[in-house]
Amino acid sequence: MTAPLLDITGDVCPMTFVKVKMGLQRIVPPGKLNVRLKEEALKNVISSLKTEGHRVTNVSREGTIFLLEVENSPGAIK
Amino acid sequence: MSEADYKELKKGGMMRQAEAGHFSVRLHVVGGRLATPQLRSIQEAADRFGRGEIHLTARQGVEIPHVPQDALAAVKAFLAPSGVGVGVAGPTVRTVTACQGCRVCPSGVIDSPALAEAVDKELYGKPVPHKFKIGVSGCVNNCMKAEENDAGIKGWIEPRWEAPACTFCGVCQAVCPTKAISTSEDGVALIVDPTLCIGCGDCITSCPSGNMREKIRGYRVFAGGKFGRKPSLGRRILGVLRTKEETMTAIVAVLGFFREHGNPRERFGDTLQRTGFPALETFVNERMGLS
Repeated sequence: MTAPLLDITGDVCPMTFVKVKMGLQRIVPPGKLNVRLKEEALKNVISSLKTEGHRVTNVSREGTIFLLEVENSPGAIK
Repeated sequence: MSEADYKELKKGGMMRQAEAGHFSVRLHVVGGRLATPQLRSIQEAADRFGRGEIHLTARQGVEIPHVPQDALAAVKAFLAPSGVGVGVAGPTVRTVTACQGCRVCPSGVIDSPALAEAVDKELYGKPVPHKFKIGVSGCVNNCMKAEENDAGIKGWIEPRWEAPACTFCGVCQAVCPTKAISTSEDGVALIVDPTLCIGCGDCITSCPSGNMREKIRGYRVFAGGKFGRKPSLGRRILGVLRTKEETMTAIVAVLGFFREHGNPRERFGDTLQRTGFPALETFVNERMGLS
């Protein structure tokens, strides 16, 4: 099954991570979520994901837009 | 009062006011931290000897203004039991400023108050060619403005790239605020330019695969900064230092260089304009046994 896509290119911190967190909550672990985001959101989104125990399993980019594949880890902070 | 008498008073932190016969009494504060009994004592002193006012200075200090000259000795004696000493002025090492550091601030890399205490204990009030200000910022967010001080310190994270699982995804390069990370010509390695890196650690925090790691979580020294009439920013010297003790040695050496090369009433930044920064670095490295 294709992982759902969450586009947060129109959002700013802290809504960027809030939306990612909500997106992950709708996925049963160990499921995956694709997140499309701008360069300036990378640091906060990735560091918050790592802090909460999720994993970024793939990264690709189209210019200044990045696409992260995030794994909703079973042991992550709810 | 003669000018000579006033100079002596000023050295002891008694600052003459515009209003004749009155002084603003400068207190000894380290890193902007006071215990509540000390605050109560200062409050009581301001009520008793001043006019119930306290002035918070630009560099985390505290002064009690409006103290008549004949009460200066009494205010000093009143404050002493609570551990509040009077400050310094003139050509001396001044108040050491500090943020709350890693024990309080989530961004903190170093224990800034601990370093400030150590520096204060060793150097506060020591005579130098001109006023010498030292400030400690716990990280590169630099709340204590390290570059504005004659000697400034910042908490610093030096990154190290490790090859094994790096996918060259480009995240570290995208998040680096100074674009200090580049890909090698053959495309098989990432290179961090130490002259551009500002020690923020964003590349480490953001790396999805954990291939950017902390090489050193330590201290970076800046020298020659000042504000006042002719502001200039301090410049980073030496490499990233690993320990508080090593940093103390570096600061003491920086001060030694100023004592040896500074002219009376010449700020350290101006001394460095004459001598150049390499002379300072050679001197400090020799003192640290790194030559």
